[in-house]
Amino acid sequence: MSVSDQAAPASPPAARGAAEGTPARRRRFSARSRRDFWVFLAFAAPNLILIALFTYRPLLTNLNYSLLDWTLGSTTAQFIGLQNYIEFFTSEGGRRTMLITLIFTVATVGGSMVLGLLFAVAMNRRLPGRTVARTAIFAPYVLSGVGVGLVWLFIFDPNFGALAWVLRQVALTSPQWVNDPNWALVMVIIVYVWKNLGYCAIVYLGGLQSLPTEVLQAAELDGAGPVRRFWSIALPLLSPTTFFLLITTILNSLQAFDIIRIMTPAGRGTNVMIFEVYLQAFGGYSRAGYSAAIAVILFVFLLLITVIQIRYVEKKVHYA
Amino acid sequence: MTSPLRTGLSRRTLLSLSGLGAGAFALAACGGPTVGGDSSNDKAKEVDFEGVKPAKKIDFWSTHPGGAKEIETKLIKDFTDKTGIEVNLVTGGQNYEEIAQRFQTAQAANSGLPAVVVLSDVWWFRYFMNGNIIPLDNLLKQLDFQLDDYRETLVEDYQYDGKQWAMPYGRSTPLFYYNRDHFKAAGLEDRAPKTWDEFAEWSKKLTEADTPFMYPDLAGYAGWTLQNVLWGRGAEYSHEWDLKLTEQKSVEAFQWVQDSVHKEKWGQVASSDSADSFAGGVCSATIASTGSLVGILEAAKFDVGVGFLPAGPVDGPVCPTGGAGLGIPAAIKPEEQLAAAEFIKFMGEPENTAQFSAATGYMPNRKSSDMSAIIKETPQIETAIKQLEHTRKQDYARVYLPGADQEIAKAVASILNDKADVKQSLEGLQKNLQGIYDKDVKPKIEKQK
Amino acid sequence: MSTATASHSPSSAAGNRAPQGPVGGRSPQRYRHRNTGPFSKQNLVGTLVGGYLPLIMATLVVALPLLWMVISSFKSPHELVTQDLVVWPEDPSLANYRTAMNTVPIPRFFLNSVIVTVIGSVIKIVLAIFTAYALVFVRFPFKRVIFVLILVALMVPPQVAILPNYVLIAQLGGVNTYWGIIVPGLGTAFGTFLLRQQFLSIPPSILEAATLDGAGHWKSLWRVVVPISVPSIATVALVTIVTEWNDYIWPLIIVTDSHMMTLPVGLTALANSEGNTGSGWGILMAGAVLIIIPILVVFAMLQRYIVSGLTQGSVTG
Repeated sequence: MSVSDQAAPASPPAARGAAEGTPARRRRFSARSRRDFWVFLAFAAPNLILIALFTYRPLLTNLNYSLLDWTLGSTTAQFIGLQNYIEFFTSEGGRRTMLITLIFTVATVGGSMVLGLLFAVAMNRRLPGRTVARTAIFAPYVLSGVGVGLVWLFIFDPNFGALAWVLRQVALTSPQWVNDPNWALVMVIIVYVWKNLGYCAIVYLGGLQSLPTEVLQAAELDGAGPVRRFWSIALPLLSPTTFFLLITTILNSLQAFDIIRIMTPAGRGTNVMIFEVYLQAFGGYSRAGYSAAIAVILFVFLLLITVIQIRYVEKKVHYA
Repeated sequence: MTSPLRTGLSRRTLLSLSGLGAGAFALAACGGPTVGGDSSNDKAKEVDFEGVKPAKKIDFWSTHPGGAKEIETKLIKDFTDKTGIEVNLVTGGQNYEEIAQRFQTAQAANSGLPAVVVLSDVWWFRYFMNGNIIPLDNLLKQLDFQLDDYRETLVEDYQYDGKQWAMPYGRSTPLFYYNRDHFKAAGLEDRAPKTWDEFAEWSKKLTEADTPFMYPDLAGYAGWTLQNVLWGRGAEYSHEWDLKLTEQKSVEAFQWVQDSVHKEKWGQVASSDSADSFAGGVCSATIASTGSLVGILEAAKFDVGVGFLPAGPVDGPVCPTGGAGLGIPAAIKPEEQLAAAEFIKFMGEPENTAQFSAATGYMPNRKSSDMSAIIKETPQIETAIKQLEHTRKQDYARVYLPGADQEIAKAVASILNDKADVKQSLEGLQKNLQGIYDKDVKPKIEKQK
Repeated sequence: MSTATASHSPSSAAGNRAPQGPVGGRSPQRYRHRNTGPFSKQNLVGTLVGGYLPLIMATLVVALPLLWMVISSFKSPHELVTQDLVVWPEDPSLANYRTAMNTVPIPRFFLNSVIVTVIGSVIKIVLAIFTAYALVFVRFPFKRVIFVLILVALMVPPQVAILPNYVLIAQLGGVNTYWGIIVPGLGTAFGTFLLRQQFLSIPPSILEAATLDGAGHWKSLWRVVVPISVPSIATVALVTIVTEWNDYIWPLIIVTDSHMMTLPVGLTALANSEGNTGSGWGILMAGAVLIIIPILVVFAMLQRYIVSGLTQGSVTG
């Protein structure tokens, strides 16, 4: 039995066993394959058609727009080939957007996964009342980004915010959270991690609770302390969970929009790619073609990250 | 054992995906722009409304400026009672950007357009360039709008190419707010400073608050209110289409602003609405929209004084107008356009614009509006109305170039927050704005002629 | 692949017994003396410091900002914009809520949000179950390609879809209709992905037993697969409900009639387009409370399933 089979929780499914297509089942089902054909269509077609119509069709439309010099609202446009793409990769604004996207993604993914793991470890004890903590820590994940952004904006306000008041009590001045582009990025990262770390914590908790007891006990009998047990045994065993989280949190971070837009509407210092897509088309510039090009680039990034992760990380998972 | 994810993305699968991409263009045609078409198609045609009957039901997209939803609903009811035309009030968005996003989306789809839409000062011009809105001149004449009773500076803002493209609605100007308690404690006169030099002098005595003066926040207001400083020093963003940002006077003006924050340290830059900082007592004075007056009076625990914007060494009006207007889309039926014009006329009637003004704190559009009851209740509003006679049309560079307001805010941010070199920042800004003009504006306005 | 302890499903995974405190566990003795509770004398301090401190901190970090939101919504303007932090409003008032209620028809928004969320979520979940079942248990050519296409759909940024979808839905007459709000979001890639992975973990032997009993796909789906996948389906349900409820940009674009607006869109009418001085912050906080509280209630009701769906083994704990 492979360990990953045991360790992955239900929804973090990355390393779950593929039961599909085992020879036994294939034989048994083959007689009914013609009927299956129609059953498959009846079951899957509605969803597939909807996805094709409302996700793929826009994606392709977008690909078309990305080759145009098109001012949103204008009825005409000029075909300019790859100019929009070239501009994004060569202009200073484009490079800055990529850098900000990189920082935001690394910080939010790292932050929510590390903190999530720590909280998961803390929650992984049979203490009365831990359900309350578990519920509480997951709660922000379900809240509206618009609402959360507003609440935190009020807390971060350098003059009237609760945070500024706390800082004043210890004789510090609040940073200019919105005006200073670097602090603005820090601010949205903090809020984003706050909203999402519960998700990581819960998924890690699931991973921890399905670790095989025998292995840990054996290690303990060998004299390994709790820290050592965590680093050398639990963490490697958790790698399928880590893998699942890595994919989902990176995808989520790259598509983070509501919080950033509500807290920093001008996008100075916080214009990650998805926000830049919005800003270029709707935020004042009306550059629909350029915006579409950034959207396509972002999509390609997302695709590449997933492929690389699957190819690379899976080997490690397998090894574990 | 293999993971489902791994085998999922085989090379073959990826190949079949890229094949799918090749079919992109065949599918993608509908709803977008005509590629390679002549952009003079964008010109809105003037419509003759002789013999047209107004539509019975129209949509009105608003941002409800100044929390205007209630008063808008009331005025709409009055309008329906009077004319029988039903108006469906639509929340077009939370701010001017959202309503613009929505308007442009409907425009691209050529469907679901309203009959009347709220247009902000920095957005209407690109609708004009794209032929999205109609000139109102025929309608103004036919419906007898009594233009001479409108306040000229508010109406002029929507004139270009000899035509009227929108009518004022929810108009505001910046206003100088000061904390009378702080001024008293400092032994200053109970009035706004006449010039910025005077205020710089006064600021030395203003020690009650964290900072004597708060500049408006960059995202929303910097580009707008800083025209005050520029004009007072004989500078401007642009003279018509000629950018003037790198001229000596402009550099000096921005240097003066930077010094007030970093050298003389009597000013700070607000991070959110500066009206909040003022009402909370963080600063002794600020510049904010007249639209914030009601809110400031409500929140402040001290005596609020208001005055004209301080002038500079050069004579002439130093206060820009701002806010929104009402326009009529081009791609709707003449019947709807006519009904829309009737509605715009109604909203501009002296008593209606007065009611709107009372509810929101925006400026009345008409000279004959009776504001005495409102002034009695909120005396400060009189100053704002008087200042209207000393306003100046905004510089083309800010309001007519798409994205210019954002570019200006970015440059100002680097000058004021990051202490960037003023000349260099302005040179960069000028280059960006010139690029926007050459690429997005010049070809279009030339074709319009 | 399976052993005696391998779970057949998350809900039966209690057999996959979770160790009691294996990783953060401070006392090695606990493995030997399982009955020693966390409150035994030698353990009390350790439990309080190592066990409860992080839990309490985590709870506070989450709860305080939300509490602050609720308290602020009862404050008057001068208590909001002040540098001397007012923790408790001197005269707590419902004025902000009253303003919010008077400005916009909140009950109507609420109803619309509930309709859109319920219908949209139910259809999405059913579609996800059917698709995932088909992908796992029904024979069909190019299943992998189809699955990857679904996976890739997860990576399409939602912002790119606004304009093309608006064009389509508007042409079909979907502006200001419930179906216009709901339909474009119905195709569900996330739910299908998650449920497919869960279904894959169901041992084929169970399905085969059902097939031998003569059950067709319809029966095996509802009698076998769905019952043992409840926690995962609950997880999909929560994520779907949350997404539908919080969706903002699409309903904003597709609805123009205020009688059709959902809560997040309708509440934007509360914000002043030229700043929110004074009562602005209080009204916004009241608005945030109105958006946030209902979803918290739903979450509290579903959380037992969700958390167990995500944490698998802890259903009985």
